[in-house]
Amino acid sequence: MPRRIAIVEDEPAIRDNYADALKRHGYEVGTYPDRITATQAFTSRLPNLVLIDVGLGSEIDGGFTLCRDLRAMSPTLPLIFLTARDSDFDVVSGLRMGADDYVPKTVSLPNLIARIAALFRRADLANSPATAEDLLLRGPLSIDLKRMIVRWNSQPIELTLTELWMIHALARYPGHVKDRDALMRDANIVVDDGTITSHVKRIRRKFQVADPKFDAIETVYGMGYRWRSSAE
Amino acid sequence: MLALGIRGKLLAVASVFLLVPWLGYEYINELERFLRRAQDDSLLATAQAVATALHDRPQLFAAASDTPLESVRDVLDQVAANDPGRAPSPSAHAEAIGEIQQILRGLERATSQIWVLDRAQHVRARTGSLRPPDSDSPVLLKLFDRPLDWIEAAVLSPLYRMILEQPREDFVDDAPPVYGREIETALSGVRAAGTRQTPDGHASVAFAVAPVWAGDKVQGVVVTEQTTNSVLKQRNLAFERLLGLLLLVVVLGAVLLFVFASRLGKRIRALRDDARAAVDAEGRVVHPFAGSSSPDELGDLAREFAAVLRRLADHTHYREHLASRLSHELRTPIAMIRSSLDNLQSTVSGPEGLVYVDRAHQGLSRLNFIFDAMSEATRLESAIDNTAREPFDLREVVAGCVEGYRTIYPDSRLVASLSPGPVPMLGSPDLIAQMLDKLIANAVEFASRDSVVEVSLAQAAPSGRMTVLTVANTGLPLPDGMQSRLFDSMVSVRASASGSPHLGLGLYIVRLIAEFHHGSARIENSADGCGVVATISLPSVA
Repeated sequence: MPRRIAIVEDEPAIRDNYADALKRHGYEVGTYPDRITATQAFTSRLPNLVLIDVGLGSEIDGGFTLCRDLRAMSPTLPLIFLTARDSDFDVVSGLRMGADDYVPKTVSLPNLIARIAALFRRADLANSPATAEDLLLRGPLSIDLKRMIVRWNSQPIELTLTELWMIHALARYPGHVKDRDALMRDANIVVDDGTITSHVKRIRRKFQVADPKFDAIETVYGMGYRWRSSAE
Repeated sequence: MLALGIRGKLLAVASVFLLVPWLGYEYINELERFLRRAQDDSLLATAQAVATALHDRPQLFAAASDTPLESVRDVLDQVAANDPGRAPSPSAHAEAIGEIQQILRGLERATSQIWVLDRAQHVRARTGSLRPPDSDSPVLLKLFDRPLDWIEAAVLSPLYRMILEQPREDFVDDAPPVYGREIETALSGVRAAGTRQTPDGHASVAFAVAPVWAGDKVQGVVVTEQTTNSVLKQRNLAFERLLGLLLLVVVLGAVLLFVFASRLGKRIRALRDDARAAVDAEGRVVHPFAGSSSPDELGDLAREFAAVLRRLADHTHYREHLASRLSHELRTPIAMIRSSLDNLQSTVSGPEGLVYVDRAHQGLSRLNFIFDAMSEATRLESAIDNTAREPFDLREVVAGCVEGYRTIYPDSRLVASLSPGPVPMLGSPDLIAQMLDKLIANAVEFASRDSVVEVSLAQAAPSGRMTVLTVANTGLPLPDGMQSRLFDSMVSVRASASGSPHLGLGLYIVRLIAEFHHGSARIENSADGCGVVATISLPSVA
C-alpha cells in the first residue's frame, strides 16, 4: 500500500509540480490549496506525511496553525515546512512547532524527496530496536541516523532533519574542520553561509538546553566548524 | 544664541512702547496749557467782576488823582487798619479806599490777590494773598496710596523732580504789580492777561487786568493775580499718576514679552535640537520626531517635520528592505521554475533536452545566489537583534579568518600584521568574521594583480581604548563623493562586467556589524592614492 503524502500549498503550479514528482516516486498524493480544506480532509483520514507551506493564501501564518492542529491529532506524523521567507526558519524553530524539517521552497525536488524518504525510514524503524552499528558514539553524544535520534548524556535532543544531518557531518570526524560548503553538501542544505551560521547557533542552543556547558561545536573563524575532539 | 536673538529682537520692537510715557508727557503738557488758560480766564473773569462792581463810581478814584504815589506798605497798613473807629483820617481818600476794600472783601479768595489801581497806577486797594492757606493740602494726593509707594519714593519721585517743574511756596512777592504794558492796555480800555515771575523767581504768577469805567472814561484797573502753583500741582499729580500707570504697564508688558519670547525661543531650540538629532550623517532617521500637540504654528512645524521624517524613514526602510522583499517575492516563481525543471529533467528524454534543462538550472542557481545575497542584509539585521554579546579575542578571530582566506583566495597575497597581545572585545565573533568576509572579498576583488592585501589590527595610539582594524589593497581609487555612501544599502561602484552579480550590500553589512559593536566603519583612498583602505574602529574592553 503506497504511502500518502498531503501537500498544502496555495500556489497551484508548485503544488502540482510537487505532486507529480512525488507520484513518480510511487507516493499517493493529496493536494489542498488552503488550511480549511486540508483540516477537513485530515479529520477524516490522516496522511503519512505532510508538506505545509507557511503562508497559505490570505493566512500569513496559516501553515503554523495547521501544524499545531495536526500535532494535536498525531504527535508522530512527519511534517515538513516549505517556506518562502527567511524569517520563517527562526519562527519555526523558536515556536518549537514540532515540524520535522523545514526547507526553503527553492529546494530541488531530488533534495526534497531524499528528505521525505529519510523521514519515512525513521517512521519505519521507530519501533525496531537499535543495533550497535547504527549508532555513532562520540563521548556523551550518540546519533542513531536511521531512527533519527540524537542523545547527549542519554538525554534525547529534538533536532530537525537538517540539524541532525549537520551534527552527524560534524561528529563523524571529530577535530576535522568542516567548511561551510562541506556542511551544506552533507546536510543537503540549499541556502547560503548565513543560514549555516544560524543553523549552528540553533543546534548549540538546543544542546545547551540539555547541558548548559555544551561547547562541542567549535567555530574555526574563516574556515568553518569542527566537533571538539576533547569531548571524547 | 537663537533664543537671545528672538528675545532681543522682540524687546527691541517692544521698546516702541517707551514712546508711550513721552506721549503721556506731551498730553500732560497740553493739559497744563489748558488749565493755565482756564486759570487766565477765571482771573480775567474775576478782574472783570471786580471792575464791574467799581464801574461808574468816579468818587472812589477822585481823591486819588491828586494824592502822591503811596507806598505799598501804606496801603497795606490802611488795609489792615480797616477799622472805621481807628481810621487815620476821615479824608475822602481813606473813605474811598475803605469802600473799595469792602467791595473786594466779598471777593476774597484763598489763592488769588486782587489789586485796584488808579489811572496813575497808584494802589488803591488790595486783598487776598498769593499764598494758599496752610491747610490746603492737595486732596488728590490721597488717591495715591498704592502698595508700590516705596518704588515711588525711591525711584519715581526723583525722576519726577527731574522732569517736572515743582511748585514752590517759598516765594517772596510783596511788591505791587508793575506790568507796564498790560496795565497801559487796560487803561486804554482793553482787558489783558499774562504771566509774570515773582521777583525772586521761585514762582510764576498769572494775572489779569480789567479796566474800571466811569462813563466812557477809564478810571482805574483791577488786577487779579494767582500763582500757577495749583495748576502745576494738578499737572504734576496727573503726570505722576499717568506715568506710574504707564511704567507699570510697560514693565509688565516687557516682562510678559520676555517670558513669551523665552518660551518661543525654547521651543524653537528644542525643535532645532530634535531636527539635528533626528537624522544622522548618512541620512538615516535615528530619532523620529515626537511631534507636537500644540495647535500653533510651531506645533504645525513640528508636526510637519515629524511627517517629513516619517516619510524619509519609510523611504530609507523601504530602500534597505527592498532587496529582501524582492527576494521573498521572487522565491515563489523560482520555486515554480525549479520544480518544473526538476520534473522536466526526469521526464525528458534524449541528451539534447537535458542540455537545456541543465542550462536552465545554471541560470536558476545564479538567480538563487542573487536572492540569497539580497536577503543577507535583512537576515543580519534580525540576527543582530537576537545576538547576545560575549567576550572574545578579536586577534584570534582575525588571525583565524586570515588563515581561512588564504585557502579561499589562493591567488591573492594576504599579509596580516596583528598586534602582539590578545585584543579582548565584547560582541559576536561570528559577526566579526562575517564582516571580515565582506571586507576581504571586497579588497581581493579590487586589488590589482599580484598585489598584497594587508590586514592590520592595532590599538589606536592615544587612548588605547579603540582598536583599529584596517584592510588595505592597492588598486583603483574610489570615485570622489562615494566614500561615505558606500556603506549604504545597494550602493556599488563596481564595474558592471565583473563576473558574478553584485548588489552593494557587502559594505552595508560591514557597517551594521561595526555599529553593533559600537564602532564605526569608513573607507577611503590610501594616502599615496593608489589603493583603498577600509578602517573599522571598535571600542575594546579594558
